[in-house]
Amino acid sequence: MCASPASSPRPASVSPAWSGEKAPPLVVGAVERTLVVMPRRCIGCRTCELACSFAHGGPGRMARARIRVHPAGEKRFVQITCLQCENAACAKVCPVQAIARDERTRALVVSLERCVGCGLCEAACPFGHMHFDRETRRAEKCDLCGGNPACAAFCPAKALEYR
Amino acid sequence: MAIRIFIDEQEVKAEPGESVLMVARRAGFDIPALCYHEAVESIGACRLCLVEVRSGARPGISTSCNMKAEDGLRISTDSPEIRRDRATNLELLLLRAPGSPVLRELAARWGVRPRLQPPPDAGIANCILCELCVRVCAALGHNALAAVGRGEKKRVGPAFGKPAEGCVGCGACLSVCPTRCIVMKDTPAARTIWGQSFEFHRCQVCGQPVITEKHRAFAIAKRGLPEDYYDVCEPCKQSQASQRFASVVW
Repeated sequence: MCASPASSPRPASVSPAWSGEKAPPLVVGAVERTLVVMPRRCIGCRTCELACSFAHGGPGRMARARIRVHPAGEKRFVQITCLQCENAACAKVCPVQAIARDERTRALVVSLERCVGCGLCEAACPFGHMHFDRETRRAEKCDLCGGNPACAAFCPAKALEYR
Repeated sequence: MAIRIFIDEQEVKAEPGESVLMVARRAGFDIPALCYHEAVESIGACRLCLVEVRSGARPGISTSCNMKAEDGLRISTDSPEIRRDRATNLELLLLRAPGSPVLRELAARWGVRPRLQPPPDAGIANCILCELCVRVCAALGHNALAAVGRGEKKRVGPAFGKPAEGCVGCGACLSVCPTRCIVMKDTPAARTIWGQSFEFHRCQVCGQPVITEKHRAFAIAKRGLPEDYYDVCEPCKQSQASQRFASVVW
């Protein structure tokens, strides 16, 4: 899963929601990449939550983050984010088919133009990772930042990797 | 098969029959619209998405939301005439709903002077009768809303002014309303909307509201879901998931 030539150009269509100079070399489309979550490495600093809430246009409000760090015992943490389920409850329950798979990143993405804000998906996700923005009244979820997840880029413990 | 249309002389790919507004927005053109929503059929109600057709047998200014893309269609999105007509339509919307913040913001941007003072705490008085809520409610299968009355007395609401049987209190009408004029009140006990009160189905772990009882019953019956489908709230599901993952990892 890493046979991507370093010289591959960054596709023009990729528009990461954030722009950081330390962005990892991005090869999207050449190989299928996955957000790998490694709770054993997590130090519970919640940088991923902060990165996520900044990446998605908010003023860094961590309550809006699409990844959450949960304590799981003494000095143990588990990061909970969307698993991009193959047979996803959110997409199945959506009455207007607003949640579809992005062919390039394989992420399930909410179309804000199509979502009608009924709230069914939020209640349907078995992992509690569909969110409902009470201001815009639309569903929101992890979209892997269009192929360059900010949480993984900023994780200081390498507990989140996009590879 | 993809076709080509020309927006401000720029070639854009589209599917035949697609809404011209949708195609233009996808290509990055900024066309204002209030009553447009991808999930439902467009009816050209707010009349702000005007564009000028420059090809074919019927050139002229028309709404783009319910205009279908055809091969070779040429439109322009900005001209003095389009601006003039959009401003006139906005002025008319402002007469109907003088207190609507979204209308007043557009008016400030386009240099339109509102003729009426906004009433205090307008609520449903800010309705522009675009019927987006009616269309969305029907698409969701609830059919709780309709245009009630005719002419000057036309309003949007439950038919005959009585509490609608189909309403489940989901709040999608409020979510899509461009002027945010629909009033919904959530208290810890219940949700009130369109003159009806809905009890919440509560999280079996922490007792927080998850979804209204009626919405839950509707979704479970319509989609054949298991009875316990909506029994746990979002934060509790998250912490349950984290415990489960932790037991696998350590």
